[in-house]
Amino acid sequence: MAGKVLYATYDDDHKLIEGAKELVGKGVYINTVYSPFPIHGIDPIIGIKRTRLAICAFIYGLTGLLLALLGFWYFMISDWPMIIGGKPNQTLFQNLPAFIPVTFEFTVLCAGHGMAITYLLRNWTLPFVQARNPYPYTTDDKFVMEIYPDYEHTKEDELKKMIESTGSILIEEK
Amino acid sequence: MGSANKKYWKGIEELTEEPSFIEQSNKEFVDYVPVDNFMSEENALSTSNTSRRDFLKFLGFSVTAATIASCETPVTKAIPYLVKPEELNPGVANYYSSTYFDGNDFSNILIKTREGRPIHIEANKNLSGAGVNARVNSSVLMLYDSNRLQYPVDKSGEEVSWKDADKEIISALKAASAKGGKIRVLTNTIVSPSTQSIIDNFAGIYGGEGAADVRHISYDSISYSGMIAANSESFGKAFVPSYRFDKAGSIVSIGADFLSTWLSSVEYAGQYGKTRKPDGEMSKHFQFEAGLSVTGSNADHRTAVLPSEYGKVAVDLYNAVAELTGGTRTSGGGSPYTEAIQHAAESLVSMKGKSLVVCGSNDKSVQIVVNAINAALGNYGSTIDLNHPSHLRRGSDTDLKMLTDEMNKGQVDVLITFYGNPAWTSPSSLGFASGMEKVGMKVSMATYFDETSQLCDYTLPDNHFLEAWGDANPTQGVYALAQPTISPLYNSRQVQESLLTWMGQPQTSYDYIRAYWENNLFPTSGAVFFEDFWNQSLHDGIYTVSHDEQHEEPNFAADVSAAASAASSSKSSELELFLYQKTGIGDGQHASNPWLQELPDPVSKITWDNYVTMAASDMKARGFNLNLGQEQESDMVTVSVGDLVSEELPVVAQPGQKPGTIGIALGYGRQVWKNKEKIGVNAYPFSEMNGTVSYHRNGASITETGNKYHVAATQTSHTVMGRTGVIRETTLDVYKAGDRNDFNPVVALPTHEGLEAVKNITLWEPQNTEISGHLWGMSIDLNTCIGCGSCVTACNSENNVPVVGKDEVRRGREMHWMRIDRYYSSDADLEDKSISGYRSMEEPGSMPEVVYQPMMCQHCNNAPCETVCPVAATTHSNEGLNQMTYNRCIGTRYCANNCPYKVRRFNWFNYIADRKFTEFNPSQDDLGRMVLNPDVTVRARGVMEKCSMCVQRIQAGKLEAKKNSSKVEDGAISTACASACPTHAITFGDLNDKSSRIANHDAGDRAYRVIEDVGTRPNIVYLTKVRNKETAQA
Amino acid sequence: MFRESEIRQPLILGHKTYGDITADVIRPIENKASKLWYIAITISSLIALWGIGCILYLIGRGIGVWGLNKTVGWAWDITNFVWWVGIGHAGTLISAVLLLFRQRWRMAINRSAEAMTIFAFMMAALFPGIHMGRIWLAYFVFPLPNQFGSLWVNFNSPLLWDVFAISTYFSISLIFWYIGLIPDFATIRDRLKHPVQKKIYSLLSFGWTGDAKAWTRFEEVSLVLAGLATPLVFSVHSIVSMDFATSVIPGWHTTIFPPYFVSGAVFSGFAMVLTLVLIMRKVFHLENYVTIKHVEYMNIVIIVTGSIVGVAYLTELFVSWYSGVEYESYAFINRFSGPYFWAYWSMMTCNVISPQLFWIKKIRTSLIATFILSIVVNIGMWFERFVIIVTSLHRDYLPSSWSMFHPTFVDIGIFLGTIGIFFTLFLLFARFFPVLALNELKSILKVSGESYKKDQTEH
Repeated sequence: MAGKVLYATYDDDHKLIEGAKELVGKGVYINTVYSPFPIHGIDPIIGIKRTRLAICAFIYGLTGLLLALLGFWYFMISDWPMIIGGKPNQTLFQNLPAFIPVTFEFTVLCAGHGMAITYLLRNWTLPFVQARNPYPYTTDDKFVMEIYPDYEHTKEDELKKMIESTGSILIEEK
Repeated sequence: MGSANKKYWKGIEELTEEPSFIEQSNKEFVDYVPVDNFMSEENALSTSNTSRRDFLKFLGFSVTAATIASCETPVTKAIPYLVKPEELNPGVANYYSSTYFDGNDFSNILIKTREGRPIHIEANKNLSGAGVNARVNSSVLMLYDSNRLQYPVDKSGEEVSWKDADKEIISALKAASAKGGKIRVLTNTIVSPSTQSIIDNFAGIYGGEGAADVRHISYDSISYSGMIAANSESFGKAFVPSYRFDKAGSIVSIGADFLSTWLSSVEYAGQYGKTRKPDGEMSKHFQFEAGLSVTGSNADHRTAVLPSEYGKVAVDLYNAVAELTGGTRTSGGGSPYTEAIQHAAESLVSMKGKSLVVCGSNDKSVQIVVNAINAALGNYGSTIDLNHPSHLRRGSDTDLKMLTDEMNKGQVDVLITFYGNPAWTSPSSLGFASGMEKVGMKVSMATYFDETSQLCDYTLPDNHFLEAWGDANPTQGVYALAQPTISPLYNSRQVQESLLTWMGQPQTSYDYIRAYWENNLFPTSGAVFFEDFWNQSLHDGIYTVSHDEQHEEPNFAADVSAAASAASSSKSSELELFLYQKTGIGDGQHASNPWLQELPDPVSKITWDNYVTMAASDMKARGFNLNLGQEQESDMVTVSVGDLVSEELPVVAQPGQKPGTIGIALGYGRQVWKNKEKIGVNAYPFSEMNGTVSYHRNGASITETGNKYHVAATQTSHTVMGRTGVIRETTLDVYKAGDRNDFNPVVALPTHEGLEAVKNITLWEPQNTEISGHLWGMSIDLNTCIGCGSCVTACNSENNVPVVGKDEVRRGREMHWMRIDRYYSSDADLEDKSISGYRSMEEPGSMPEVVYQPMMCQHCNNAPCETVCPVAATTHSNEGLNQMTYNRCIGTRYCANNCPYKVRRFNWFNYIADRKFTEFNPSQDDLGRMVLNPDVTVRARGVMEKCSMCVQRIQAGKLEAKKNSSKVEDGAISTACASACPTHAITFGDLNDKSSRIANHDAGDRAYRVIEDVGTRPNIVYLTKVRNKETAQA
Repeated sequence: MFRESEIRQPLILGHKTYGDITADVIRPIENKASKLWYIAITISSLIALWGIGCILYLIGRGIGVWGLNKTVGWAWDITNFVWWVGIGHAGTLISAVLLLFRQRWRMAINRSAEAMTIFAFMMAALFPGIHMGRIWLAYFVFPLPNQFGSLWVNFNSPLLWDVFAISTYFSISLIFWYIGLIPDFATIRDRLKHPVQKKIYSLLSFGWTGDAKAWTRFEEVSLVLAGLATPLVFSVHSIVSMDFATSVIPGWHTTIFPPYFVSGAVFSGFAMVLTLVLIMRKVFHLENYVTIKHVEYMNIVIIVTGSIVGVAYLTELFVSWYSGVEYESYAFINRFSGPYFWAYWSMMTCNVISPQLFWIKKIRTSLIATFILSIVVNIGMWFERFVIIVTSLHRDYLPSSWSMFHPTFVDIGIFLGTIGIFFTLFLLFARFFPVLALNELKSILKVSGESYKKDQTEH
């Protein structure tokens, strides 16, 4: 399509949700919404899929767990077993009870950090990255709809009217 | 005295100024940094077209070079000898047998040297009855004392040359001899026959007809001349007999601390230990004394009596014995301790002929009564040997008195004094110091510029005994040799050589002794060649004359009744002062030894001070503070007897002390190591000369000064709180009954399968200790441990344990790996576990029984300390040792907290450099550092340390066995503490070797492990203490 | 849309719009700081400097400058460590656990609570560091490959568990905190005029855009991190307690320690949050966001945890008597009747008796009373750790080694110093960071805002 983008600003999240419903119903493509806080229930309307971050976290955690166990086996049993307080040092299993706390901690460590890093990368929120929100006020108290208009389907002014009717206070084309 | 800037060689290489060494020692860093000499060469700079770029190259290179250079550590590689002495291998210790006698202690010793440095002194175990105490094995440190006199000095302490000094002295001697004046030689007891002969020759040369009147006066810092006089009156011979405690089945001591300070205490301790084995014939020991001495604390029955009552007690005992043996009673006596004395008498009589009564009093008449008792019991010939008298004490107080009178009259022209410090140790009433001023020429030969030397015109440095040749004749028929193990560190000359020089026949003492032995002893030996005889004696360190002994029994012939009435005459007073010796400091000649100062007194556990001991009841009456502790302040008092007033001393409560008495330890009031201020107060002036020197004074009084003082004690709570898991003790009859459950029940805990012995309860599959070969362990017999502390100092010397000083000890930070816990019994009901019950349990009884428990790392097989170390700096060896890896330790102190025995020691400061310790830690002194054992790491700041069970000795022993491709024999390896123990209470060995002594001990009924119920499974076995007394009285 | 029941009191007072919220929270950052703030930070930073001085002296001279001895190897150092760790627990508990329980009232305090957690943990982590004899070798506690190859750490040691627990908890809390901060930094970024400030905050905001996708991920991450952090809250102090519980020292070797320590931690944590929040509320005029209701809720948590702690104390005593182990029973008799009885009884009064006052509504809802009690509780909790550590160590198995601990000026200096550092950091945070979670507040404005609730009730 043409590189034109419509930005419709709302001053209230409920208005925006209602508006979005209506517009999407009329086949308008809403790319995304900029808001100062998460608007619950907007995702399904504008068709945002559920994120899979949680699954990543689980995988990271699992890796951590295995790494920890492997480490214990290598450090304490295989590489150089030492007699410490008379505790058994022949097999990992016999000595395992002492390792449970660290295993747990390390699992959480990996899961937490892994997911956090993934999140930042996925969002591309990293140091020295420039903000891409259309108006500064989207982080304060306004809500902005990002629309990719399709003028073959609906006329420009029609579309704008359509949006206005949903209670948008400002419509700009960039 | 000005300190000499003398350079001390750090090894043969430096002594022999071997070029490679000098070079290496000057070259700490690589001195070749190319850029330097490039820059230095003027023309090179001008000619070379060095662009900026080149310069940067050089710069870069030089920086790199510099970095590399700085990585180079000081040269530490061992430099081989040019010509290696055959007996000397770097890294291998050499042992030399020698002899120790300082006028107080006699001991046959082995000196351990490394690369020519004596570093450790042990008992010469090849000789039966040889042992060492703390004073003997600590004496090695004083060799390296930089406060020793380093060159001849005059009155003002200014250096003079030997030549001048000799010239002056000889002329003075000649003058005196010419005008027929008086020349006096004043010494401690001379035990060396060769020295004695030198003195005699000396007298011969300057004295005689028409020449000077030369006399040799010997005295003892702690006088025994009362006893000598008594013996001469009883048997017509002025001597001290040899006592044989090992033959005694019943021992009564009246104020004699024969286990730690009285006469030849090292020897007696060993003999005593032999009789304290409950499995054999166990001796019964009664003690009558004023203060709680080490000996008293080991007695089966102890009675506190006034010092003035010693005589009465002796007389009453005599009468009691007479009653039982049908002898004749005598008048006098009348002490209030009838029951105890009766009890003692019965025991003595029951052991007739195998009993022994000794007395610490220096009063002739009292000693006569004691002799009478021994005679009545027929102990002469069995427990007391008159045929082989001891030569260790020969001093005569009457001679000393006579001399001081002469001096004060200004009759003495020349006074030569050595071995001893009369100005310091003699009673103030004697007026020795004032007399010195009236003496023409006063010469002192000493290792220190001591109190006596400071009064002398010339003080000539004598060699330390480790630098000197010597011989000794401790008891009749026994001769010992002392050999030097290092060449003199200072510009000193040993006494004998000085005398010989003045006699105009200069000669090394080596030659003289050799000659003396060749002429006098060699003939008795029956050896063919003198060389063989000499080498053999030198190797053994001892030679016993095998002449047939005359067996005629000298019978007792003194007027008992006269003596008895004299002995009973002494009146008691409201407050009596007694002067005693401490185990560590003895008569005080070692007072400057930081090891001994830091060795806690076996009984009071106080370090670095002497103090006034009092009964708790007396202190309460005066409102003094009885408690010891970091912030507990003791009250200061001055003690006065007649017109004598002491300096301030702190007052300390001493359980077991007779109310109405105060005790002060002798031998204090001297500078220690490099300390500027004096430690403690000198109590010698309080001793009194009436015929013989008396160490008891009546009519003492104390006055509170209002000042407070922090006493530094290593143990501040005194009872065991009824914890049978820590201390197990019983009485002989219970033990003889033989049911282990009565005196040493197996520690068991209830489990779901019923009562189970702790050693079988485990959470996990335990490590198998049998497969590993060795399982090193120690057994400690609480019965034979007398608490003397010899093991503690031996450990310090072997393991380079730092000295931390009074303030740190007070803060509970002494570093001793080996400590001896002392517990007083409490009068409280041990079953009462209420708050008040526990409170009263903390209070020691007024007349407590004492138990000593040597405590060091228990080398637990389930060691709590190992589990908690985050960096695995302390782990278990497969030979049962709990190992400490210093360079891995990060110092969390978690291990120390989790140690149930609290035996781990933390390096709170950098003891080898921190300013706080400069004055008394030998390792901060260039010379003092030479005593360090190169086999043991000197621990860094912030590192945990503890007993390693002398792992370096174990390794050495294993290597030895490996070389001989044999298994390690039981007894082949011994730890420092075990080999230092005079009573052989500590046994080191392999628990896996079922035939070893320690394995037998472990199997025995008395074996237990401390707080076994914690489940640490230690490798240290303790043997239950058995007291030889009736249960009824327990 | 979701409506909150009328019975629930509003969490945001007054008639606020989204804009107002932003304005209120960002005010301290936009405007000059008050005189009060300057006075506060001067004092706290001076104390901090003194503490740092003491630390340097300690490291330079050796652990000997502390009052420790051969018997008492830990005293104020580890007491302070456990104390700070405990305080550090409230933050994550509030933001994580309450998030899982969908407790809206958390939102007013979670930001500052988390900040407190971070700072408290910095203080806590300081002590295991400086209490080492050779801190320059502290890296030994990590299983790093080394020239000896086979030289590893000892995973049997509770102290090592600590290393992992603390570092995990700290870093996770930090991330949790910062991820929550990013959108708010963005808000500040877009609002500030001053170019330099703008630069700084845009850097901090990581270029946050706030589009729907980002917000979904944001909520997901918050939720999962909360899920991860929750077990951490409980595990960390359990592991800290195992330093003692797994030892053999009577008074330390106690199986109830983990739960007992955790509740104690929450107890002290909430107390400290109250102390700080009440100050913040006053200084930055946040009365509308941190309401009496919030305070009351937290006080209730304090009653609960305080009571748990009290029960734990009594259980200890009972068990020590019931076990019949003479060392154990003596250890506890010695606690309340021995030379350190004063420590024990001040612990009892501060921790067991004082929180019970919150049963009274008047006290529970009075700011002054709460403020005072919150401090009392933290004093009590410090004593609890002191009692556990010192009175257990100073008289254990062998009476021969019994001794006392006497703190030196360095002990005291370092402890005060950490408090100084802590408050300095917190004041800086309060000055330059959004002290309330903007985005979260906005998201609950409609449901819990006072005026909106009114509207709902009217029609």
